[in-house]
Amino acid sequence: MRRLQQFLPFATLIILFIALTIATPHFLTVINLSSVARQTAVINIMALGMTLVIVTGGIDLSVGSILGISGLFGCMSIQAGQPIPIALCVGIGSGLLCGLLNGLMITRLNINPFIVTLGTLEAYRGLALVVSKGLPVHGLPDAFSYLGDGNLLGIPFSLWILAACAIVMHLVLENTKLGRYSFAIGSNVSAAYYAGVPIKFHLTAVYAIAGMLTGLAGMIEASRLMTGQPTAGQGYELQAIAAVVIGGGSLTGGEGSVVGTLIGAFIIGLLSNGSDLLGINPYWQQVVIGGVIIAAVGLDELRKRRFATA
Amino acid sequence: MLLSLSHIQKNFGGVAALRDGNLEVQEGEVHLLMGENGAGKSTMMKIVAGLHQRDGGEMLWRGQPVSFSYPSEAAANGIAMVHQESLLAGHLTVAENIFLGRESVSKTAWVNRGALTEKARAVISENGFRLDPTMRVDRLTPAGKQLVEICRAIAQGSSLLIFDEPTSSLSEAETREVFRIVRELCQRKLAVIYITHRLEELRSIGDRVTVLRDGATVHSGPLKDLSREQLIQHMVGRPISSIYRREFLPPGDVLLRVKNIYRGFLRDISFELHAGEIVGLGGLMGAGRTELCRVLFGLDPPESGTVEICGKQVTPRNPREAVASGVALIPEDRQHNGLALKLPIATNITMPDLDRVSKFGFLKKRDELTLAETYRDRLRIRCSGPSQLAGRLSGGNQQKIVIAKWVARGARVFLFDEPTRGIDIGAKQEVFEEMDRLARSGAAILMVSSELPELLQVADRILVMREGQLTGELPGRTTQEEIMRLAAPPENHSMIENA
Repeated sequence: MRRLQQFLPFATLIILFIALTIATPHFLTVINLSSVARQTAVINIMALGMTLVIVTGGIDLSVGSILGISGLFGCMSIQAGQPIPIALCVGIGSGLLCGLLNGLMITRLNINPFIVTLGTLEAYRGLALVVSKGLPVHGLPDAFSYLGDGNLLGIPFSLWILAACAIVMHLVLENTKLGRYSFAIGSNVSAAYYAGVPIKFHLTAVYAIAGMLTGLAGMIEASRLMTGQPTAGQGYELQAIAAVVIGGGSLTGGEGSVVGTLIGAFIIGLLSNGSDLLGINPYWQQVVIGGVIIAAVGLDELRKRRFATA
Repeated sequence: MLLSLSHIQKNFGGVAALRDGNLEVQEGEVHLLMGENGAGKSTMMKIVAGLHQRDGGEMLWRGQPVSFSYPSEAAANGIAMVHQESLLAGHLTVAENIFLGRESVSKTAWVNRGALTEKARAVISENGFRLDPTMRVDRLTPAGKQLVEICRAIAQGSSLLIFDEPTSSLSEAETREVFRIVRELCQRKLAVIYITHRLEELRSIGDRVTVLRDGATVHSGPLKDLSREQLIQHMVGRPISSIYRREFLPPGDVLLRVKNIYRGFLRDISFELHAGEIVGLGGLMGAGRTELCRVLFGLDPPESGTVEICGKQVTPRNPREAVASGVALIPEDRQHNGLALKLPIATNITMPDLDRVSKFGFLKKRDELTLAETYRDRLRIRCSGPSQLAGRLSGGNQQKIVIAKWVARGARVFLFDEPTRGIDIGAKQEVFEEMDRLARSGAAILMVSSELPELLQVADRILVMREGQLTGELPGRTTQEEIMRLAAPPENHSMIENA
């Protein structure tokens, strides 16, 4: 069942890859592919956290703003003279705190995740602008660029980070209590409660993890841009959600996988890279990506109906 | 002949739900449609009501070949269905639901709510129901919701009403009310198809019966020609050896001691459960039996009073604490509270006790599957394997998963809230057998049931509740009349006294 669920997105990705290889000689080059990898790594890392959130039946609309605020705080700490590893911790920690706050509001105040994160989408962005007075942080040391632009063994460093995060997240989702409880909560929160699952604790943890991964993505983004932009990451939340959904995640919860999300994010990445290479109007790119999201979910519904029994 | 179905077939994703469905219904009769879960009763009726389309066979309505692509088409022909799980819009009022889709619209395209309410009031009072047309439907009891569906069907001017297990969520009194309505409908020359698998109720209502088994009609004829045993044999396909009756066991230590519990309308409840005991909890709908289970499972902690579990004073404040101290609840509404339908059987079974199948915080999936297989075999859960999704199973098998997860957790005190609701005879026996096995292995069991024959069959002793209080205790071999005497309000207890 799960295999089949991932087959369609995977086939789409392969077909897209082959089609682009044939269509343009500029596609299958080391330079182009590493640039695709760098571009998608940020969204991909965010989408990993989003996968966990969506599996629980929740949503996190605030990740774009969290990305902005954590990148900004990380860069500000560099500017204040902190070494890069400390700055990295500041960035990731800011993301974790933002996510934790989301989780606490959702579980302790019992507010719908959509509403909470819609609120913090605005609030975190506003906070970033207040703290930075709307100005980007410049003058970062060259060494900082390694995170987003460096290579390790010929492969972009951010891709290594993504791979590490994806493996860990896959294990968490498939082989730990946290992952299992996330599926249980997303499939039927009441049944999980009746089974004695500590729901509030696990839900809070899920949002905190999503925030933490976004913090990491924020530092990579800041490193790519070599600035701490308070406005970074606007609209990224929707791309992250799209990646999860294209990869078979269900917004009603209980479904989703790391492999699916990776495929989803790469499909989006290839679509925009391909249209750039083929010189397609960037406005049309948006239309295409929107169509792909709807087609992916529509086909998945069709599959479910076909295999549904009475 | 009003309705005639011959050789109806229906497949879902390659699985045959109905292979050879045959049924003939005349005007003014109550036709019982019986069969175990998964026999194809609901599927066949959904085809009649236009919710599914048949893959083969013929359907005649008043002698004309028909097929309905939409429920509205069937409704236009006078066929209405009263569903097992209420298909009403919870946020709308009773009146709005009765006329849903057929609102009388004024010239200005506004829905005339006042007129709607009045029309609904007329339909309700004509049939002698007690229902407030302005009430929001999600505030109604299951019985109330059913009345709304019946009113809707009557208001549509239907000539064939299909009841899909209407009494499975109703109390005794409400069941009698539904029967009264059904008989009244027949006197008006309406035909009723009545799906049920409760053997107790059928003789007081039906004229003829059609039995389905494994997607095919195996018997059709007048009810009076059939003995109870013959009917069961038709449904199950083999003779049921004997009606299960538990042998008495000497009770062991006290596993649950409840003292002076108050919560909401529950007043001063005290009782004990011993190891090896199955104690029935009887009473009318709304007597507070489910509420009591909720208190004991920590869902609604008591306002005062104490609960002692396995010798320890632990009044649980949430299900987690209840589970940790060895209490299990098999809830009344298993689809909402008992199971994650989208997840595999194995996942559901291990959910309360993941530690048992993990090492260093990581799940050992092989152990999990082995464990699930063990309990699948023990409870005879019929499935393609432990990875099958729980939502794909029949009601009886789903209930067995809910039970299996608590057996696997090693719970000591089991609260069964209406454990046999909506499950077929075969599964029912297996649930009772498992309860017996649990009691023998030293667990204490409290079983809530609205079906008195079931309480008499299974329980060692029976507690009875009325209006939030325990009104008495009876031995297991008592009579239905004794239980009702304690459960029903006293004769002279009039409305005036209450006010």
